[in-house]
Amino acid sequence: MIQTILALMKKELYQVIRDRNMLRLIFVMPIIQLLVLGYAINTDVKKIDTAVYDFDRSSLSREYIKAKTAGDYFIVSSENPPVLDAERGFKENLYTAALIIPNDFSENFIEKKPVNVGLLIDGSNANSASITSGYAEMIAMQFNRRQLDIPEPIVMRQQMLYNPESESIYFMVPGIVAVLITMITAMLSSMAIVREREIGTLEQLMVTPITVPALIIGKTIPFAILGFLEMSIALLFGVLWFGIPFVGSWSLLYGLTFIFLFTTLGVGLFISTVTKTQQQAMFYAWFFSIFAILTSGFFSPIANMPEAVQYITYLNPLRYYMIIVRGIMMKGASIDALYPEIIAMIIFGVLIFTSSWLRYSKRVS
Amino acid sequence: MPDAVTIEKLTKKFGDFTAVDQISLTVGEGEVFGFLGANGAGKTTAIRMLCGLLLPTSGNGTVGGFDIYRDNENIKKSIGYMSQKFSLYGDLTAYENLWFYGSVYQLKKKVLKDRIDELSEELGLHEFLNRLAGNLPLGWRQRLALATSVLHRPKILFLDEPTGGVDPVFRRRFWGMLYDLADKGTTLFVTTHYMDEAEYCHRISIMHHGRIIELGNPSDLIQKYQQPNLEELFVQLISKKSEESADV
Repeated sequence: MIQTILALMKKELYQVIRDRNMLRLIFVMPIIQLLVLGYAINTDVKKIDTAVYDFDRSSLSREYIKAKTAGDYFIVSSENPPVLDAERGFKENLYTAALIIPNDFSENFIEKKPVNVGLLIDGSNANSASITSGYAEMIAMQFNRRQLDIPEPIVMRQQMLYNPESESIYFMVPGIVAVLITMITAMLSSMAIVREREIGTLEQLMVTPITVPALIIGKTIPFAILGFLEMSIALLFGVLWFGIPFVGSWSLLYGLTFIFLFTTLGVGLFISTVTKTQQQAMFYAWFFSIFAILTSGFFSPIANMPEAVQYITYLNPLRYYMIIVRGIMMKGASIDALYPEIIAMIIFGVLIFTSSWLRYSKRVS
Repeated sequence: MPDAVTIEKLTKKFGDFTAVDQISLTVGEGEVFGFLGANGAGKTTAIRMLCGLLLPTSGNGTVGGFDIYRDNENIKKSIGYMSQKFSLYGDLTAYENLWFYGSVYQLKKKVLKDRIDELSEELGLHEFLNRLAGNLPLGWRQRLALATSVLHRPKILFLDEPTGGVDPVFRRRFWGMLYDLADKGTTLFVTTHYMDEAEYCHRISIMHHGRIIELGNPSDLIQKYQQPNLEELFVQLISKKSEESADV
């Protein structure tokens, strides 16, 4: 049994190594994906292009504008553009916010009357629009405090744990690593057996004394090895290039990744028992990957999803692994904190492996 | 001499369609048995049942003395199988193909190495060992497929149209190799479309619509039906049977 498994593993690895395209897919793709996605999926809102209308033209209004643009948040990209054409600037993406200071700004301010300042925000990206309005309010409050010396009854002092600068890249890269190994292992393993069925070698294997468990183990371990390699490349790149802090334990992450790979390889294997051609297998694996990624909390938090969809996410092994990767890398989570996720992944893995085994034995006889 | 293959009323149905209809025959040890029939006559289905790839609907059978229902594992250890599509890994070299199948049969390292040497000597494969199997010319691929199916020295070798698409010179040489195997005591169970090849067999059976319609020594059959050769005999038998079934 051991000899057979080793022979299968060696054969499988040889086949991968011979295939130049496959090698490129496995080793170059993760770096490209990390680079592109790492920079592209940036939910930080900074350097908001702003049009400024200063109808007051006083020293106070200028000071107010200075306060607004002091941080890295707002930059003045056009000053007093034609009023009637204000909306055009939004349409042409010249700015995404417009600050309007009325001509009675300093007068009212000094007389301690209510002062109205207008802020127009491009709401087509709802997420960054709400962040923009949050910044603007914060800055206005600080300005009040400084100018008027009003003592505030409640002062909230916030401190962000784990990711103090709220860098979205620290959050995204662990997610991308999880997504990458999901796709690679599910796709490779789903095609592995179907390919042999297509070229006829599966039939040849079935007349040998090889057993189904040996076949399954020998065919999946090489892909687990590739999954680990893939993850290591992506992690190293994330840490060295993006400077992602890795707070937790590497060995715990690798150990739990092994359990996770058990689930994705199981899915791949199951797909290969229900499909007849590599194309079909590819589509099924693609569908699974998309489902897994979208319901994993990779892009948007699961808590924001409708309740029915939240229940569906429990069927997704990547959902659990996403918590594990982010937990270990960003918060240094220990194994005690991750038991529910670990148990869920084990249950999923055992179920999917058993059902593909059963389906497989049935098909062969 | 014990029988290598015995079949009794072996039947396989796929839904309403009966692919193999109560066939019975025995093949002796060391015999070269030709399993003939038109396309779709049920030859491949029958072979697949004997090799344990398909479960029969009814009937009995033994291969190498092992029951085809219960002793599948033992059958697999004692047979070799070479199918119509050469089941090689095109992206592995000839040597790696041999090495892989030998390892699956759990041959010891040393034994496997010796056998590969020996077989590539006999089949003239030496110079091709380091080439990718997918790049070999058809005739050589076929020899390689033969080598992989006999590495573990099976007692019975099933060959399902082993010479399809290969030129006559190669075919003749290939049969020379098969005869060498038979001389060493391997039982050969061969399907073919080439009637000149069928004449090399000790005995043949002719299948039509899932049934065996004739069985015997090729020259005896030619005499019995008074035909000039097997080809004529085959064509005559099949068309006669087709007319009969059309009449019914």
